[in-house]
This record gives sequence, C-alpha cells and structure tokens, in this order.
Amino acid sequence: MSRGGGGELPFPAGCGAVRLPAAPPSGRSGHLGVSGAAGARLPAGWNYFFLYDGSKVKEEGDPTRAGICYFYPSQTLLDQQELLCGQIAGVVRCVTEISSAPPSLIRLRKLKFAVRVDGEYLWVLGCTIELPDVSCGQFLDLLIGLFRFYNGSVCHAYMVFSWEELSTQWDKYIEHIQKNTSDLHKIFNSLWNLDKTKVDPLLLLKAALILQTCQRSPQVLAGCILYKGRIVSTQLPPPLTAKVLLQGTEAADKSVPGGGEVLQEHDPSLPQDVCIVPVFLTEDEATALRDFPVEWMTRLPTSLANPKGSKNTLRSRAFSDSARVDEVRGQHALVVREPPTEASGAARAKDALNPPAGARSSPGSKSPVLSSTPLKPSPPSQRELGALPSNSRLPAAECTRDTGAASGSFDFPKPCAVGQEGRSSTEPGSSEQMKSECRSLQRRHTASGSLPTCWPSKETRRRSSSSKRDNLSSVASQDTSSQNRTFKRGDAAARDDASEQEPLPSAVWVGQKFPAEDCGRNQFPVAEVQGSLPSGTAEGPGSPKGRENSLPTQVTTGMDCLAAVDCTVSGKQAKLVKMILYVHRIKELVLLLLAEEQFKDDQGSIEDVYHSSLASLNGLEVHLKETLPKDHSSTAKATYSFTHYDCIQNVLTANLPQVLGAQDQHFLRAASLIHADFNQLPTVSEMIIRNASTAVYACQNPVQETFFQQLATPLRNSGVPNPHDSAFSLPGKAKQKLLKHGVNLL
Amino acid sequence: MKCVLIASDGAELLFCWADKEFTESLHRRFSQSEQGGCEPPAFGDSINTLFAPMIISCVTLLERLSDTYTCFSAEDGGHLYVLHMFGECLYIAVNGDGSESEDDLRRKLYVLRRLTEAHFGLVTLDSHLVCKELRPADSEQRSRVWALFQGLLQTYSSLREAEQSFAVEAVERLIHPQLCEQCIEFLERQVVQHINASKQRGGEEMVHAFLLVHTKLLAFYSSRSASTIRPADLLTLILLVQDLCPSPSADEDLSPQISIPEEYFTPQPSPSRQSTGESLGRRETALSPQVAEDSLQTLVPPMPSASNPRRIFLDANLREGYCPMVPHTMYCLPLWPGISLVLLTKSPSTHVACSLYQLLDGFLMLEKKLREGHEVGPPTRSHPVLAELRQRMDKFVRKLGRQDVQLHNAWLEFKSKAFSRHESGSSRELLQALGSVRQQLCSVYRQLFLTSLPTEGLAQGLQDWAQKLDFPGLVHFIYVDRTAGQMVAPSLNVAEDSTSELGKGLLAAFIKKKVWSLIGLARRYLQKGYTTLTLRDGDYYCSYFLWFENELGCKLEVIEVPVLSDDSAPIGMLAGDYYRKLLRYYSKNHPVEGVKCYELLTLHLGVIPAERVIQQACDLARRLWEPSRIPLL
Repeated sequence: MSRGGGGELPFPAGCGAVRLPAAPPSGRSGHLGVSGAAGARLPAGWNYFFLYDGSKVKEEGDPTRAGICYFYPSQTLLDQQELLCGQIAGVVRCVTEISSAPPSLIRLRKLKFAVRVDGEYLWVLGCTIELPDVSCGQFLDLLIGLFRFYNGSVCHAYMVFSWEELSTQWDKYIEHIQKNTSDLHKIFNSLWNLDKTKVDPLLLLKAALILQTCQRSPQVLAGCILYKGRIVSTQLPPPLTAKVLLQGTEAADKSVPGGGEVLQEHDPSLPQDVCIVPVFLTEDEATALRDFPVEWMTRLPTSLANPKGSKNTLRSRAFSDSARVDEVRGQHALVVREPPTEASGAARAKDALNPPAGARSSPGSKSPVLSSTPLKPSPPSQRELGALPSNSRLPAAECTRDTGAASGSFDFPKPCAVGQEGRSSTEPGSSEQMKSECRSLQRRHTASGSLPTCWPSKETRRRSSSSKRDNLSSVASQDTSSQNRTFKRGDAAARDDASEQEPLPSAVWVGQKFPAEDCGRNQFPVAEVQGSLPSGTAEGPGSPKGRENSLPTQVTTGMDCLAAVDCTVSGKQAKLVKMILYVHRIKELVLLLLAEEQFKDDQGSIEDVYHSSLASLNGLEVHLKETLPKDHSSTAKATYSFTHYDCIQNVLTANLPQVLGAQDQHFLRAASLIHADFNQLPTVSEMIIRNASTAVYACQNPVQETFFQQLATPLRNSGVPNPHDSAFSLPGKAKQKLLKHGVNLL
Repeated sequence: MKCVLIASDGAELLFCWADKEFTESLHRRFSQSEQGGCEPPAFGDSINTLFAPMIISCVTLLERLSDTYTCFSAEDGGHLYVLHMFGECLYIAVNGDGSESEDDLRRKLYVLRRLTEAHFGLVTLDSHLVCKELRPADSEQRSRVWALFQGLLQTYSSLREAEQSFAVEAVERLIHPQLCEQCIEFLERQVVQHINASKQRGGEEMVHAFLLVHTKLLAFYSSRSASTIRPADLLTLILLVQDLCPSPSADEDLSPQISIPEEYFTPQPSPSRQSTGESLGRRETALSPQVAEDSLQTLVPPMPSASNPRRIFLDANLREGYCPMVPHTMYCLPLWPGISLVLLTKSPSTHVACSLYQLLDGFLMLEKKLREGHEVGPPTRSHPVLAELRQRMDKFVRKLGRQDVQLHNAWLEFKSKAFSRHESGSSRELLQALGSVRQQLCSVYRQLFLTSLPTEGLAQGLQDWAQKLDFPGLVHFIYVDRTAGQMVAPSLNVAEDSTSELGKGLLAAFIKKKVWSLIGLARRYLQKGYTTLTLRDGDYYCSYFLWFENELGCKLEVIEVPVLSDDSAPIGMLAGDYYRKLLRYYSKNHPVEGVKCYELLTLHLGVIPAERVIQQACDLARRLWEPSRIPLL
C-alpha cells in the first residue's frame, strides 16, 4: 500500500489486499497545528478561518504574519498560522497562474478549505472533510456576507478600523454561525425558523401584519421578526435574513459583548429598546428590495435569491430550459403564495388596523393602479386563488403570465445605479467625503467596541452637516437635520437636496397625496409594478406607479452607494449600498427593519414605526412565550425520520431528535450525500439508497427536497434485487406519513 | 485542456503529458512572457516552472501537517486538479474543460500508477530508482519512455470513454461456448505445448495464452503449472494490447478481406531496447517462428513496434506464496484486424523475484514501524519478524555472492546499527540504513528484470452478447461478476451506421451517456457504503445493486461495506483494487464460504412502475448467472 493508501484505511489491515508493502508514511508526528487547548475547543465541522492580505507580503523578507488579518482559532500557534496562510496563499497563486482563475475549494486528506479571493485579500475557511463541499463554501460566503453587511467592504474596513476591533467582529460572526448550526442545518445551510407546527398560525399572521404595517413608512423597505433567534416572519430574501439573524443571537444572549453596550449607550433621541445599525447591501440586494419592496416570496425565485455573492441553492440549479423554469415558477407561486394570502385574509377578519392588507385583498379596490394596467392579471384575484389551498392549481397560463411579467422587470434600468455611478466617479470630493464617513464609522467602533451602535449620534449629525458644507452631495452626506423633514405617509422619501439638484419630473409628484388607506401602495403586488415597467413611458402623470418607481430613484440619487473608495476590489463587490437596520428588541423578540439611510434621521418616521408596532409586538411576544413549548424534546418518538427543505425560503422542517442516535446519523449522512448530488443532477427526481442498516428515500423538485427514513429494525437481506425489499416501499410511506407535516409529495 | 504529470518530492518533473489545448496555452503564456528574442522554454521546463510551487507546497504540508492536498477545484466547471502521492512521487492530473470529474482524474492517476508498476515492477518501491526509469538522463531514451506512457494514457482515456468493460473495469467476455472451446484447444495444443517443447525458448516458459476480439476476451488458456492471472492484470494487458495494436473502429467489418494478399508471419528481429541499467547479458531468444508459420496461416497487420515483446510485471500465486509483480514477457500478435493473440511467458529467475519481494516486504514493514515511532529498543530488535528477516537476508546476500557489493555493504551497515549491543543506532540512523538496504534490493531487482528483452490465427463471425431477453421497458444492463472480474452487457454501439439493440446513433449515444453517469453515481454511493441505489432521472429509471453469493449461488447476507473518503483509491479493478479488498473483507466475516460478488446496473424506461423494475432486475440477475459461469478454461 503506498503512502496514498491512507484513504483505504477502513478496510481492516489484515485484509487490506496489500498490493505492495507500504511505502513509508512520511508522517512525522503531531496533528494539525492547533495547540491542544484550542483543538479541543473547536466545534465539529469548522477548523480554521482566516483572512489574509497578500499585499502585505510582497518582498522576500516580508514575514507571512504581516498579511494575517484575522485567524481563527486565535489560540493557534503563530507558526502554524503562518504555515497555513503561507501555503494556502501560495498554492492559490500557483493555481491562478496555471488556470487563470483561483480555486474555490482546496481539499486535503483530512481537511477542506473553501477559498474566496477578492483582489489581494484571501478568505479561507477550513472544515472537516465530512462537511459537504458546497456547505463549506456557503459558510464562508455567509461569513464574508456578514462582515460586508455590517462593516462595508473589507479593504475599506481594514483601512479604517483597527484590526483588533474587526477581529472582535469576526469572532462574533463565527460564534453566531456556529451556535446556530445543527448538523442538519450544516448540510443544507438553512436558516433557523420557528417550528411552525408548534405555533398558532394566527401568531405568524400577526407577525406578518406587523411587518406590513411598518412598511407604511416609505423608507422602510422590508423587515423580519425573530423570536429567540429564530425566524417568525420575514420579508427579506434568505441571504439577507441570514445576515440580520445576527441580531437575534445578540438579543437571545445578552452576554454577547455589544448587545449589552448597545442598550447602555442608547441614543436618547430614539425610542426605548430601539437602536439603529448602519448596514451595507450589495447593489443587487438593494435594487431587489427597492424595486420590489414587499413580499419577495411571491416572486419567482430567480429574481430574489440571486443576488451576486449569495450562494443560495437556487443559484446552482439549472434553470436553463425555459419549460423547466416555467414549471419552477408555477410551483413556486403555489408554494409560497400562502403566507401573504393568509395575512390578508386575517387582516380583513381580524385586524382593522391594517388597511393596506384589507385594501389589497379586495379586488374592487379603488386603486388607480388596477384600472391603468389592464394587461396584468389582477393581483388580488391571484391572492384569492392562493387563499384556497385546496384549489391551489393555478391555471398554467396565469402562472406564466405572472412570471413573465416578473422576469420582465429585469430589463428595467436601475435608475439609482446609473445616476450614482456617474456621480461617484465624477464627484471630486467623494474620496474626502469617504474619509469623513470612515472617521465617523471609526468613532462608532471605538466608542462602543462593537457594531450596533445607535444612530444617529450627535457626532454623526455634526459630521453630516460639515460634509454638507463641503458641498458634497453623494454618499453619506444627506444633511437631514438642516432640512427639518418630517416624513409623512405618502411623502416621497427623498425630499432632500437631491430633489433640488435634479428636479424630478412633475409626474412623480402628482400622485403624492394619497388617501391614508392607500399608503400601502408601496406594497403593490409585484405584478402591478412590473407590468407597468415596460410601458413606463406611457404612464399618466397621476399614475401611482410613477411614484412607485420614482421613489427609489429619488432616494438613491443623492446618497447611498458607498463606492469602492480607492480599494482595488473586483468589480462585483465594489459597490455597496448603505442602508440602516432598525432594531427593536422586546425581551426575546426582535423586530428588524431594513430602511433607506435617511430613515435614521427622520425622527417622525421612527416614532411612527415605533408606535404603530409597539403594542402588537408586545402582544406577539407574550403569545409566543406562552405558546412555544419550553423544551424541544419531542415526547413521542416517531417511527420515521424526515427532513423537508424549502429551497426558496431556505428553511427546514424536520423531526430529528436533539440527541442523534445511530439511525439518525445514517440519515444525516445519506441526506448530506444526496443533497449534494441533487445539486449536481437537476433531472433526478427520486432516489433510494440502501446499506445494511438503513434505507433512505429522497425526492426533489426545483423548490424543495425531502428525505425520508423508516426507523424500523434494520432490514436484513442480501442486497440482490428483491421486490419485497422494504426499501422500495419507502416512496409510498413517505407520501402518506408526511402529509400531516404539511409536506405533500403527491 | 488536460494535463497529467508525475513529480518527485524534490519538484523534479518525472513524466508529463498534456493535450494540444494545454500545450498551446502554455506556449502562449511563455512566449508572451519571454519576448525579446529568447526562445520559449521547452515544454517540460515550462511545466516545471508552473507547477513547482504547488509541488513544493504539497511536500511541505506533508512534512509539517502529515496531510496534503488531494484536490483543487474552481466553481462552475473551471479547472480541476487531483493530486496523489504514490510513495514519494506526486501525481497530478488537471482538467480545464469540465469534461472529466474528480473521480475520472483520480482514476487516471491510479491507472498511470498501475502502468508504471506493470513496466517497472518492484523498482517502483524506490523513488530514487523509479525516477531514473521514468526520466532517463538520456533525452532520447526519455522521450521513448514518455511516449510509451503518453500513448498508454491516451489509449486508456479513449477506452474508458468508449468501452463498457473499461467503464466498469471488468473483463468483457464473448459468450460463445463452442468457439471458445475450439480456441482453447488450439491454444493448448498448437501454441503453448508446442512452444514449451521448443528448445529455443531460452528458459522462458509459456504460462498463459489468450485471444482478444477488440477488447473482449474470446478464449484464455493457462498452462498447468501457471498461477491464475488476476482480472485486474488481464485488463491491464488488454489495455497494453489495444495500445500496441489499436482495434479498427468498432463498426468496421470483421470478416476476412480477400483482397489482401496472404502473407506469412515472420518474426521481427529482436529489438534491443537497452534499459538504462547495464544488462546482465540475458537476452531472450526469439520464440520459434515455425509455430506460427505452420499452424497459423493468416493475415497479419503490420507488426507492432519495438516495444513488443516487452517485460511486464504481473501478480502471481506461486508455490512460495503470493508474489506481486513477477516478471513476465508479453508477446502480442495481431492475427486479424481487431483480433490478437497474446502470449505470456515466465522467466526462469522468477524465484529470485519472489525472494526479493519477500525481503522488500519485510523491510518495508519494519520501516513503517520505525516511522510510526515504535521504539527501536530491544523489543523491536528481538522481534521474531526481524530475526526471520535477518536470516533470509543473510542467505540471499550469500547466494548473490560478490555480484552486488553495494547490497552487501548496505546490509552490513544495517546489521551493525540494528543488532549491535551498544544501542548506537538512533531511530533516524536506523531508518537511513534501512532505506539504503531497500534501495539496493530494488536495484538488484532492476538489474535482473528491467534490462532489455528480445511471436505468433483465426477469424470467424463472432457474435456479440445479444441474448434475446424479454424484459419490456429494459433499456440496458451491465452484469458484473466481481470475483472473476468479468462483465456482460448488450453492446452499446454509437456509430452512425451501425445498429445495436439500442438503435442507431443519437439515441444510443444518449443511452450511453446515461449508463456512464449511472456507473459513476453507483460508484460514489458504493464508496460511501451503499450497495443499492435507484433513481428516477428524467424519463429513465436507473438501478444499481451489489450483492454477495456463495459458490452455489445462494445469496449471502448484506454487510456494512466500508465507508471510504473522497480521496481514497477509485472504486474499480484497473484503478485501485477495490473489489479484491471488498471480497477479502467479506470473506473475513464468512470464512467458510467461497464468496462471490456481483453487480447489476439496469436502465429502464421511467414509465415502468418501480416494482416492475425491481422484479425485472431480480429476474435478470437470475438469468445472467448461468452464462457467467461458463468457465474460461
């Protein structure tokens, strides 16, 4: 057996069929370069994470350590840190040289490394070999995504903040992800959500309604409600939800540094328990939120789960042939249309305080939109259809029309992108302005030592006005304080200096004064907005869609788009859009709202949002506390295990116990293997695999994957094809048993 | 964009093959960077320059972490690299066009390794010596060696793509009992007995003779004294034969072409392929040509090149016990386009090879123990294994006499370190001395067997395996007897103008793609311990089963099959040794019975209900069991 025969170990040595006597294994001694203590502390799955700046190590004499921005676990001996960073960076360079592209995954015998390269920066996450390749990459993307979301681009952050502060941030992200990742979640890289079977559906509706109410404020784009770190309701696409989930961790665990400090340093100008966190979205994410400000779930998956940099499973699926895409869309529409439907239904029935929902649910709404867009299917009627789950087969034509309209929206030029690019590149003072921005950010960091500090601080306001004096209008320079704006409902968000510089077409302003009950217009079902896009030029001045579309334009022209400063960052990550995250904590409950940046300065809007949601949130918190079982251990053990993965919402439903038995381990291993292959083989719809101890059935369609295992005593047979083998009866059993979990495989 | 290379742990390029695209991209890169009148560097040098950092990093990690790279991959079908250390040689396979999977690349490396073993024998145990064999200092010799392995790699790749037998790695048989019987009789009386009776054979003894039709085995005869040949070795030989005398494309007519004038076979003068080492003066005498002339009047395509006959190392079960890489000489004789006769002879010094193997085996075990950090204290010294090894080695060195002074000296030095009472030898010194003994043993082996060497009809309408099976909805199947290393399957002919059971051209090509992908998937799940796999893939329902039987055909209980890591040896027979190990693993738990292992892959139309599919697979396995037991001998 050659040295390479190490992989053949599981065969007992005695019967190893040694073709050759072993060539000497070169292994000297010792394992990977973690000191004992650190090694023991590492949770299974993750071994290393580091960020390496190649630009710091150019000359012969430059020590490798100069380039190590961050290394996890920090207890790793420096020598070993240098070894790993140096070797991986070197080999990445070598592969790039040969292939003209860096590798995204490097595998060793006992470890695997996901690799991301961004200019001179190199991110590497080392995992155990058991973790599927795809998960390893997704975890790394999530880590990087968290960092960017809360700190902006990496080179910018590392220019502005001290490495120590940033290391604290990294520590926090790593801890967050690890704490919130079970074995099953590791495989699917899914988000934590409440077990919906254990919660009164009305509470979920209530949560959805709270979010919709908050959206009445025009700067509020979308939101999410968490309880004990788990999703109760979200309007955000999964990649963004994954990032705001960090706030849930902090709420649940007050000991997290930062979480407590935020409360202490509460900005007196903000309502109680509220803080505002600056965040950075990619352009795609921002555009998706602005263009479709609500209910991403009712749209086809490609449009929202596809922001660049997000490695959602959806992306890897083959959407190549159009027939399939249609099928996908159709199914998707069926699957995900439910929540809003219920929401609107409930709203009518139950909550008179939510006029938007009520308005939407009535097809005969007086909204001018409906009359002015005859081509579109009537969205309310779609909702009505969706409202009847039993009758859930939409006519195919309608599905395609719906999705067709949705996809058409991609052709719509993004006004913000165009305007900003010109501006940020031509603006002479932009870099200086950037610096002032950085300074303020730095202050923020040094002040609290942690990220979510309350905005707007006095400092920032001062900074804002000073930059205004510099006659800088882009990036973060909105001088809001001087304008004394109080946003009223229906006011266009960007009634600021931007409007003076670039007079908006009057059309935009005409439709402004909506009756109060129409304030929910920014919640127009997608189809409406999108339908109007291609014919946008023909719109009448009074068209509310004009306002719809212009809103983001105005908002963005004067601000956001933290350009890439002078970092030499690869194109796609270069542009980040600054927004704010409104965080309202009530005990274990957190309301999170993504809003345009100027929201933070709009005291009135903040108060509005706060007061319109406070009572409902309190009620929700009390109800959830009462409803949710104290311990998660299920009393009665089922005779089967299953996992149902919703690829659109990126959430799981499963019935695995907290402590996994041998059969459960078998199940996890099978699910992990098949999940990886489903990714590779989109045409495969069903699979049964079997070994001596268990058989697992799995099926997939473009929006979901389901895994099923019978927990009966191990089936004994010879493995020869046998029609009486119980493994082949699994599909039937799965269809029957899973119905009660709301999983329909028929 | 493909490339395969072997490097020493000192980052020296030992072998390299690259396709046209890779070569061109390399050329462009280096001609760009070195403009200014300079000649672009030689191909090997450019490869060396590019890959050196990777090779060095590999070795560094191995030293520091006891772990090293096995794979680099880029997203979305970008470049894929597979790396594997065999001994101290690093093998690297690169694909830049997404046409090969990680398993394909790893398989290629294992096959390349097997080919070097088949050509260099136990010399592969010493990295220093094998480096010299793979990369002779003389550039002309080097290009000859490289061309040989480059050709073999290419032949292997095309066979793996085209032939089911190479896709599943099992020998495909032509099932034609009557013809088979006639051929065996012919091989026995006319070929083997005749040659072994000849006085001109120079001590060589004909042990095996077989007839191939393309890649399929028609008949196989072994002399009574011969040990059985392993199916993996047989498949390797088929690969070599295909490389020497490529089959005409499958759709060519096999029937005799009368227009070609008859000619008699005349053996070529012995090619003197002097190896790098000095010859011991042994020169194979040509086998009696009269045999061929008298008995086989037939058409002979152009004689294969100078590397025929060649020295081949095959595993054997000898009286002394199991011995890997016993030197044989292979004579390949094309009888008709697509039909070849292959003869294998055993040299008279086989027993020396056997002794050398046993000694090397012992020393390597010892070396492993030392490296694993076992104390060199008295327990090791007085270990019965070491005592026995010492005795055997003493005997061997004495027999060899003064022929090999270096071995003699190395052995003395080791003894002084290992057995002296003064405990002077530290573990490292001992290892060093041991390494030197090992190298000298390999060197003796090389001198004996790797020096240069200095042949032999019928054609009938041969029928493919095309049993008229009545299984509605069954599109294709492959049935493999893993114990015998043999497979049967309907032919998959994708050529435009040929008709197989699957119809013509495109459809057949589509089915072939499905079959190949099922083979890959089944292997992946087998590697992870699953012996049954069914999947609904588009309009098809695919199934895979592996099971064990005893010799009487009774099904044995399924076992937990070992779960292997991604970088373990590929599941196969040509690449790696999976099924042999699996059978031993099973036998260990069922010592009484003669264990047989079978596999069945089926491809059905998706409209057939799953229960029917399983029922059919069950019936198919029963029906196929009988023909697979037709003995070859």
